[in-house]
Amino acid sequence: MEKLTIRRMNDVLLLKYAGEITLEITGDLKRHLEAELDEGDVRAVVIDLSGVPFMDSSGIGFLVSVNTRMRSSGKSFYLYQLSVPVQKTLGLVQLLDFFQVLQDEAGLNGLCG
Amino acid sequence: MEQAVIHKVFKTISYPGDSRRLAREVVDYLAGHIADADALHDLDIILTEACANVCRHAYGGSPGPLEVRLAVTPGQGVELEVVDWGKGFGSGVRFENPGPDSEGGRGLYIMRMLSNACQVLRRDGENVVVIHKDIGAAQWKN
Repeated sequence: MEKLTIRRMNDVLLLKYAGEITLEITGDLKRHLEAELDEGDVRAVVIDLSGVPFMDSSGIGFLVSVNTRMRSSGKSFYLYQLSVPVQKTLGLVQLLDFFQVLQDEAGLNGLCG
Repeated sequence: MEQAVIHKVFKTISYPGDSRRLAREVVDYLAGHIADADALHDLDIILTEACANVCRHAYGGSPGPLEVRLAVTPGQGVELEVVDWGKGFGSGVRFENPGPDSEGGRGLYIMRMLSNACQVLRRDGENVVVIHKDIGAAQWKN
């Protein structure tokens, strides 16, 4: 997936996908993330949504599933830099306050410190 | 003077990528009439959700025919019919927002929230999601 970048900063996994998050790609995103998590030593996952111009309910389901997986194993999940369309979609289904959101780079650096 | 309704039909087979492309094709066509970016984004989400539902559920997860019938009333609104010939919604029609931990079931809720009317019906062997969205006079191109 050329639009997907994955970085590890200590034990934090940072995913950034630049493109539409719809039914077409959520399966691939999930597989890539699970492969990284299976390598172990991940305390938190952060998904950077700044490059997402469109997200549908499949994308919402993907975010919820990652949140559930991380939290059920005592780990953390954060959204980072939500694009305006992503904010709109999450707001529609009243999930903006459900996810933990890192507001800026300082927040990200604090988590990864 | 009242403007004539414009009718147009778009068709594809409900593979995930093709379903999304069909939604984009309809929205690109509508962008020739509607100027307002927010209204177009709403229609994009509505169509993408409706087409994704066909992709996921209509033919038991297999691909099948998918059609969007569009009726544009310039200066007033848009009516969309998203049609498949699969197994139908049965008793699975739910327009409510599920709990926050639910991984699915938000498509119809989103479509209802972004439209003025949304209904699911079976008509002459077709499964049809009918969506109406008012578009204010100032949101149209000249």
